[in-house]
Amino acid sequence: MDFELPGEDHPKRQAVRSWFEANPHPSGADLARAGYVVPHWPRPWGLAADPELQLIIDEEMKRAGVTAPRNPVAINNCAQSLLTHGSEAQRQKFLPSALSGESVWCMLFSEPSGGSDLGALRTTARREGDHYVVKGHKIWTSLAHEAKVGVLVARTQPDLPKHQGLSQFLVDMDSPGVSVRPIIDMSGHENEYNEVFLDEVRVPADRLLGKEGEGWALSMIQLQTERVALSKPGAIWGSGPSARDLVEGLAETGALADAALRDEAAEIYVEGEILRLLAYRALSDRMNARTPGPEGAIRKMLAAPHGQRVLDLAKRAQGARGLIAGEQPFPTQLSGDGPFDDWDYAFWFSPAVTLGVGTQEILKNVVAERVLGMPRELDPTAREPWSETRRKGG
Amino acid sequence: MNFALSDDHQVLQQSARTFVEKEISLGRVLVPGATVADADYAGNWAKIAAMGWPGLVIEEAHGGSGLSCIDLAMVLGEMGRSLAPSPFLGTLFGTWAIQKGGSAAQQARVLPDVAAGKARLALAIAESNGTTDAPGREAVAVRSAGGWRLTGVKSFVIDAASADWLVVAAQDGGQRAFYLVDARQDAVRVDALPWRDVTREVCDVRFKDAVAEPLTADDATLWPWLRDRILFALAVESAAGTQRVLEMTTDYAKERTAFGRPIGAYQAIKHGLADMLGLSECANTAMLYAAWALSEDNARGPVAAAMAKAYCCDAYVSAAHRSIQIFGAIGFTWEMKNHLYYKRARANAELFGGARVHRARVIDMVTKKAA
Ligand SMILES: Cc1cc2nc3c(=O)[nH]c(=O)nc-3n(C[C@H](O)[C@H](O)[C@H](O)COP(=O)(O)OP(=O)(O)OC[C@H]3O[C@@H](n4cnc5c(N)ncnc54)[C@H](O)[C@@H]3O)c2cc1C
Repeated sequence: MDFELPGEDHPKRQAVRSWFEANPHPSGADLARAGYVVPHWPRPWGLAADPELQLIIDEEMKRAGVTAPRNPVAINNCAQSLLTHGSEAQRQKFLPSALSGESVWCMLFSEPSGGSDLGALRTTARREGDHYVVKGHKIWTSLAHEAKVGVLVARTQPDLPKHQGLSQFLVDMDSPGVSVRPIIDMSGHENEYNEVFLDEVRVPADRLLGKEGEGWALSMIQLQTERVALSKPGAIWGSGPSARDLVEGLAETGALADAALRDEAAEIYVEGEILRLLAYRALSDRMNARTPGPEGAIRKMLAAPHGQRVLDLAKRAQGARGLIAGEQPFPTQLSGDGPFDDWDYAFWFSPAVTLGVGTQEILKNVVAERVLGMPRELDPTAREPWSETRRKGG
Repeated sequence: MNFALSDDHQVLQQSARTFVEKEISLGRVLVPGATVADADYAGNWAKIAAMGWPGLVIEEAHGGSGLSCIDLAMVLGEMGRSLAPSPFLGTLFGTWAIQKGGSAAQQARVLPDVAAGKARLALAIAESNGTTDAPGREAVAVRSAGGWRLTGVKSFVIDAASADWLVVAAQDGGQRAFYLVDARQDAVRVDALPWRDVTREVCDVRFKDAVAEPLTADDATLWPWLRDRILFALAVESAAGTQRVLEMTTDYAKERTAFGRPIGAYQAIKHGLADMLGLSECANTAMLYAAWALSEDNARGPVAAAMAKAYCCDAYVSAAHRSIQIFGAIGFTWEMKNHLYYKRARANAELFGGARVHRARVIDMVTKKAA
């Protein structure tokens, strides 16, 4: 057992640092070609990197002031499924632009009728010759307004039980019949998520990912991949302020002189340090090429409320000034340039982190059932044909 | 960088578990009204000594195995997991004190006997209000012609009644120093406290002109080093206890039925168990990090030990309390182990400073003020 992080003189560091010296302003495509976007993937897409190399690449990228392409749905969740379930043609067509960030992806999973009970979704895809025709209504779709590709879960076999009749597709978001309408979230931010209407959208049959009927299994893997990817110590799904930033900020303003606040800050700090160590453990698991398991759900279950606590204490330390829109809690601002490096915005966004990608309640069910072996939740609709459930009004 | 336990560590842990499960029983303390006198301290010690565990951290030159804090965590964790009543912890604390603070002659006099299971130790440092801060007021060392003498009282001394030797912190002219004291002399009186955690012997010790011999290291050299290890040891017990409580409670939630389903089917129970698992995972991680940092003499050792003590002890209290709730009324009886875990958790949380004390130290250290 060794918790030492790779040092300045680590043999793998030099090659990475030289690359960034030779390429001071790399494009997303440059980074993708170098394998730095998904270093833990196998070649040619990644570098089959172990956790040490992954950390080194993260650090060197930060040091060089380079931001990785932002395409979270592809990079964190879904694109990996093309390695395991996609065709070679799909990989060649979709992966280069996904990893370079040129082609943003979105996840067409949740529907107005429900997000937690994903298996009950109503959007259908019926086969017509060499196309599927998709009809339905998706909602809460982050990034849909800029996405070129949508990863769609739709029902191909309505007469099978609900989890068995689902399939996944890679849909061009500019196909005729796709329309996107923004939804304004409580932070006032217009571009967080959207509704997506799918009106007789014709999707070529070769856009089916995996086989018909594999939609549920693929979706679960992708959601769990996300749970691993997202559970870093930043307050918003790994991005934004961490507990270390919180303590630095509170030290800067002198707020730590208040004994009660200081103890709370310390408690949050300790939790943050432990979650950081847990995230490194997750990296090790990923190195061993293990399919992400329910352990990822444990980390997300812990990380999401932890992030809320980080932001909540910063906000409370502001007192009434914290209610002034845009007001920052600390004199020194965070160095990152992501949307969540704004403390005020991150705070007002933070209720979402126990909702998106599986609510806290669902995560606890998953953890208790899959890790501890507790009995599964009752679902009276799980075994009957989905069409039967629908007919009864479910 | 590798965050997993090595195979060797897993083997050590497994063999310790097998031994403890086979050899150590809590049966006699599960009889209502039992005290630590019923816990078979001496019998368990004989078995533990036969395993060579008292010498785990003692150098080979003194007859021990010279193992690291990570190795120690594997074995001590199993004792914490099973609440094995024995003077192991007090002896460990005394061993560390002599290792770091004793002269070569003192080490040679005491440590080989400890490693051989022939001598037991205890560390007397806390005052009657529980504090371990220097210099302390309640025990005073005086130098006379015939050598050093101690007078006064020390409180919350773990395993003092079993000990052959005591390491005692006493005040000398406003400074604190540590002394080696023969516990069997008439000038030393040990009174076991009516301690709620009946799996552990916790005592007051009174000295009246007791013959004492100073250790060579001063307080500033010895105490921070010793404190970090003590905090770590309590974290090890607590992390392991948390995991055991989770396992017991998980098993029970699968067996016990209400309204036609196992109680674990109900979300209030299910989610409570998921929370306990989160606590257990975090406690284990914090403890292993401290084990590694202390084994390596890493600069983060003091922070890691303080974090582990604060986190693991709080987690243990919370999990043990939750387990009583999930067991229902049976969990509130003396015959069940739940209360023993809860009492051990509460005791570990208070001894050597509560979580707030150590969290405040963490903040001091990370905001770069004096530790
Ligand atoms: C910021 C944000 C971004 C999102 N981005 C996307 C996206 O890109 N693509 C996408 O497809 N979706 C996205 N979502 C949707 C998200 O996946 C859903 O919100 C989530 O799955 C919950 O579904 P729901 O909102 O319909 O709530 P419901 O499923 O209706 O749940 C309502 C409440 O009931 C609880 N509940 C439900 N079932 C149970 C149960 N069995 N036990 C206990 N409690 C239960 C839930 O925990 C919740 O508190 C996003 C959501 C947010 C907030």
